[in-house]
Amino acid sequence: MSEVLRIALTKGRLEKNTVELFEKMGYDCTELHEKGRKLILPIKEKNIEVVLAKAADVITYVEHGVCDLGIVGKDTILEMNPKIFEMLDLGFGRCKFALATKKDKDFYAGYGVKVIATKYPNVSRKFFESKGMDIEIVKIEGSVELAPLLELSDAIVDIVETGNTLKANGLEVIEDVVPISARLIVNKVSLKMKKKRVEELIHDIKENI
Amino acid sequence: MKYNDLITPVGTKDYLFYESGIKREIGHKLSDLYKTMGYSEIMTPGIEFYDVFDQNSHYFPQEKMLKLTDDKNRLLVLRPDSTIPIARVVSTRLKNALLPLRLFYNQPVFRHVQELKGKSVEVEQIGIEMIGSSSDMADIEVVSAAVDSLSACCDNFNIELGHAAIYNEIISQIDISDDKKEEIRSLIESKNHPMLDECLSKLGNSKTTELLRELPNLFGGREVFEKARKLMSNNVKLLSIIENLEYVYNIISKIMPEEHLSVDLAMVHKTDYYTGIMIRGYLDGYGREVLSGGRYDKLLSEFDYDIPAIGFAVNIDAITKVKCRNSVLNESNAPDVLICAAPGKELQALKVAKEYRQKGLITEFSLFNDKESLVEYSKEKKIGKMVMISDDGVTED
Repeated sequence: MSEVLRIALTKGRLEKNTVELFEKMGYDCTELHEKGRKLILPIKEKNIEVVLAKAADVITYVEHGVCDLGIVGKDTILEMNPKIFEMLDLGFGRCKFALATKKDKDFYAGYGVKVIATKYPNVSRKFFESKGMDIEIVKIEGSVELAPLLELSDAIVDIVETGNTLKANGLEVIEDVVPISARLIVNKVSLKMKKKRVEELIHDIKENI
Repeated sequence: MKYNDLITPVGTKDYLFYESGIKREIGHKLSDLYKTMGYSEIMTPGIEFYDVFDQNSHYFPQEKMLKLTDDKNRLLVLRPDSTIPIARVVSTRLKNALLPLRLFYNQPVFRHVQELKGKSVEVEQIGIEMIGSSSDMADIEVVSAAVDSLSACCDNFNIELGHAAIYNEIISQIDISDDKKEEIRSLIESKNHPMLDECLSKLGNSKTTELLRELPNLFGGREVFEKARKLMSNNVKLLSIIENLEYVYNIISKIMPEEHLSVDLAMVHKTDYYTGIMIRGYLDGYGREVLSGGRYDKLLSEFDYDIPAIGFAVNIDAITKVKCRNSVLNESNAPDVLICAAPGKELQALKVAKEYRQKGLITEFSLFNDKESLVEYSKEKKIGKMVMISDDGVTED
């Protein structure tokens, strides 16, 4: 165990699920529970450092190689299209991208160019490109459901889990886009230069998911 | 109106002092290396017609190229790559030249990058092209040049070999649409096992799908060859490719530490640009490859000159970054000698300076009129020796 392996985790629910997984794997996660304001947290005896960041940043760190591995949702991977290895589906954080609009609205009717509000412009664009449809995209940073309600957009492409938020706001899913879950990503150079350690870690994770 | 006169465009930077010194040094070291191998330098223009790059097999996606127009409103681009312009020259001016041609280049390339990712638009590259030979010795020459290139600049590097024909041969065994082929290729490239499994499960079970499934795992040391042979046992063509690759691997493993040499049979390039052996080089401390290349036998036929070629490019900026990482980027080298000439003694100062410089000493003239500034400057710059030239003669301090 000569060199440190650095793993970036997405803050929040994915972090929680990953810590549970690590504990199942027998890792000492005390530093992760008692982190306070620290951002780089060691896992004792394993020569692993855990870094907590926002999803897009997990990908940035792994792409640049300053973190060897990362745990991040497929949604962010699809949006950022990074140059990394996406090696495992961890199974947790399951949800989906869906196209949703105001209940009982006929989204496809009419010849006008549809306006789509979304936090994920690239995913939305690719989805409609595959349908050969031209659309106008408005980027919204949060609470995307507001856009069609305020008549800013005809529909939204957003992450849907239970569908309760949509329902509560009078929206409904008209089409599923793609399923999402948490993925293990690996920096392209780290996999080659730290092959043994990375493969051992992947193996341990596989045994416990 | 606001002017952008004080900053450089996104993705570009100025290099100063130590950093620019290292950058140059790498270029000089590697050019000298390539010259000793019989390569001659070629320099192509920074601006080319868009048409040069707008061809199928080796394309540059048009979004990546920086475009401008000439006075006849024709589309031009800033050179996004050096291999393709070299192919242009070889297939025209050098059409009757004796083969093989050995050329090297040391020039920047320009590409649009994703916003705000810390990537550079302008990248200084040095590389070689060995044109007109498809022999095994040509492959070995070029791969060993890649090894020598990285070992000349850095202590801790890895070399990785692959072969473009492996994936192409495997995928040609199943009858599916080009879109599906691209999907599989992309999943193998990102080693996306779960999605690859799902995609392949729709194609039934065969030796081919089994091989495709295993392909992302076929990387590592020499043990990969034996693993591959077992999975490819029914395909004579594949076995022959593996044998050739292993042959090169064995030779290269004797000229560099084997633990830093590896092979990845799943090196799958997006276009059919590469046709044979592929080479990648990595540095400890940089998240992407710093050296990349391989055999590209189809490129020159796009320029109506059907001859094979193999080469690679080295990202000098990346190596510079790694080398400068732990140094404080301070100033230029401390001068060895500072000559202070009294008024009227300038000619003598020039002659004295020349003597020191011929001995290899960095010699500066003092441009100060007062003693305080002189003393302060020499302290800050850590001057080795001061030489005063006045009516009393030449004295050293």
